[in-house]
Amino acid sequence: MIDGDDLDLFERSLRAATERHTGEALDTALDELGWRDALSFDTRAAVSRLFELQGEAAATSSALDHVLAFAIGRELDGSTSILLPAIGRWEAPGHVEQGRVTVHGFATASRPSTMLVAHDADADADMAFRVGTAEFDVRSVRGVDPGLGLVEMRGELDAIDAEPVAWSDAVSLGQIALAHELVGASRQALALAREHALERVQFGQPIARFQAVRHRLAEALVALETASAVLDAAWLDRTPVTAAMAKATAGRSGRTVARHCQQVLAGIGFTNEHDLHRYVRRILVLDQLFGSHTTLTKRLGDEVRTTRTLPRLLPL
Amino acid sequence: MGVQGIDDEGWGSAMDLEAFRTQLDTWLDAHADELAPEFTGAATLDQHMEQIAKVRRLTFDAGWARHGWPESVGGLGGSSLPRAYLSEALTARDLVYSGVYSMPEVLGPSVVTFAPRELSATMLPRFLRGDEVWCQGFSEPGTGSNLASLTCRAARADDGWRVTGQKVWTSLAQYAQRCVLLTRTGTIESAHRGITALFLDMDSPGITARPIETMHGEPEFCEVFFDDVAVPFDRTIGRENEGWAFAMDLLPYERSTSLWQRAAFLHRRLGDLVAEADPDMIDPVKLGEVTQLVYAFRARSRATVHRMARGEALGAETSIDKVLLATTEQAVFDLVADVLPAAVTIDDDAHCERWRTEFLYSRAASIYGGSSEIQRNIIARRVLDLGDDR
Repeated sequence: MIDGDDLDLFERSLRAATERHTGEALDTALDELGWRDALSFDTRAAVSRLFELQGEAAATSSALDHVLAFAIGRELDGSTSILLPAIGRWEAPGHVEQGRVTVHGFATASRPSTMLVAHDADADADMAFRVGTAEFDVRSVRGVDPGLGLVEMRGELDAIDAEPVAWSDAVSLGQIALAHELVGASRQALALAREHALERVQFGQPIARFQAVRHRLAEALVALETASAVLDAAWLDRTPVTAAMAKATAGRSGRTVARHCQQVLAGIGFTNEHDLHRYVRRILVLDQLFGSHTTLTKRLGDEVRTTRTLPRLLPL
Repeated sequence: MGVQGIDDEGWGSAMDLEAFRTQLDTWLDAHADELAPEFTGAATLDQHMEQIAKVRRLTFDAGWARHGWPESVGGLGGSSLPRAYLSEALTARDLVYSGVYSMPEVLGPSVVTFAPRELSATMLPRFLRGDEVWCQGFSEPGTGSNLASLTCRAARADDGWRVTGQKVWTSLAQYAQRCVLLTRTGTIESAHRGITALFLDMDSPGITARPIETMHGEPEFCEVFFDDVAVPFDRTIGRENEGWAFAMDLLPYERSTSLWQRAAFLHRRLGDLVAEADPDMIDPVKLGEVTQLVYAFRARSRATVHRMARGEALGAETSIDKVLLATTEQAVFDLVADVLPAAVTIDDDAHCERWRTEFLYSRAASIYGGSSEIQRNIIARRVLDLGDDR
């Protein structure tokens, strides 16, 4: 466990790294400050602190790859990505059928080799493969958030040299990490809207005096604190259901925060000249990774409706 | 198991929550018949009040309801977490009417802090044991959200205070033996600096409580009229003209253990809904979202209850908990209205009437205890630091 002064120092170092660097430079900075070691000896501190800060800075890194690999007990070198599921989905990005693996997923960046997990329905197992990225059709994603640098991969390959892994563990930890990133992005969007509301003068006063504006910002805070509370519960609980709830709640909260903040920032918030657009874009895409608030919510509702039972509660 | 048994296990001051939980659950199972209400489905407020008094007495006499309260008021000391778990367990088992069960959680802690020691030592055990009902005289006809403008006057006489004025929305005043009352002792202009809190006997001459029938048909609150009511000086809670500090101390308690208990209620009723409903009537996306909201509200409240137990000062951030309660409660019962339309609109048996009552009650969740608009004002000014709004 990292605690007390060490935790403050760890967080300060992470903040400096995420504010100054992004992409490969951030990966280098994270390696230098020992984030990957922290991931194994204090997973909660490493994941929660880094992803919130990465969200706040709208930075990118390969941290998610390492989190997923860690969750399935693998290590990644700097030249390997791990494939994320299709948009809005959480299932493994590949499936095995008659010795062939069909793959459709996303990577945080194009790297020489790719680790992917594919579901083998016959064996009822999730299998991990490591293959050369050259084997896939690769498309650099522009999309709504070009800054995220996602890469889409499709392909078919032979199912050889595979090892069984627990993909569901990767899903849960990935959802928690992304939920933290959403909370961080939401927090920064709210900070930008707050600053604007205090500075922007209309009718002779800052618009922060108007109740319509205040209530939007208050609702945004309620939304992001709600997501934060479910995340705390997910760390204590460590069940797949709570992790999925944390991701769904953070996705929905992110969308709520983005809506209120963009309205408060009004014209300038609709431009590429103010920073808000980076967060609006980031929130839209992060909401879709490892299940969106709509797909995860429908799955939960279907489950509760069918079993006629609510999920287990985290005790007091 | 009685108090003796609990003390034997060495739980007197440092309660182990896990042990408390297990032992209480066992006790509740063993005494299920004794604790069970004599009604099913909707009940009158009289029946609910009787049931609450019975459960308070049984749990107090067995020691459970004494945990987390100081020894000076008949408690066994220790952390407030067992208090929160007790209220959750009773609610999850549907043994108490959630709407008014938590009154001791709201009034008790601040009375312990501010009232004269002899007064709380004598009176609070009666409240905790269910021998007495207390009410909270805060709101007035001209004072809803703007509490600091209250006008119910307490004037100094030789032998004590003389109270004249009116309160409204005073929950359970027609049942209450005592009232925790905010009065105006300074000028109206002195606003929050001229308020004094008093502890009244409701059978004092000059008090009239007129029940107000709520939309769900039960008189849960009253208008209360005070006509030259004598109150001894030793019934002053805190110091003269410092009643605002008492009122402000009390509000966060309203948003910790009692909201935690409300989360248990919402979870229980959502569980009842999915067990009872025709699955074809349920939109899975709505059900999923309401389930997430209940879990999120509970997660938020859990954190607040733990902060209180650690002795942290609760402040304006608990307004987030209250906004979340209102949103969640209304979402749960909007779902009920969609999924059990006949129960909410036309069926008249006691089972359906309970759903209808709870649906109607949920409309008040964004109004009582500080409206959602007031909570958002507080969040904007004190949590987001957006400056004054005028």
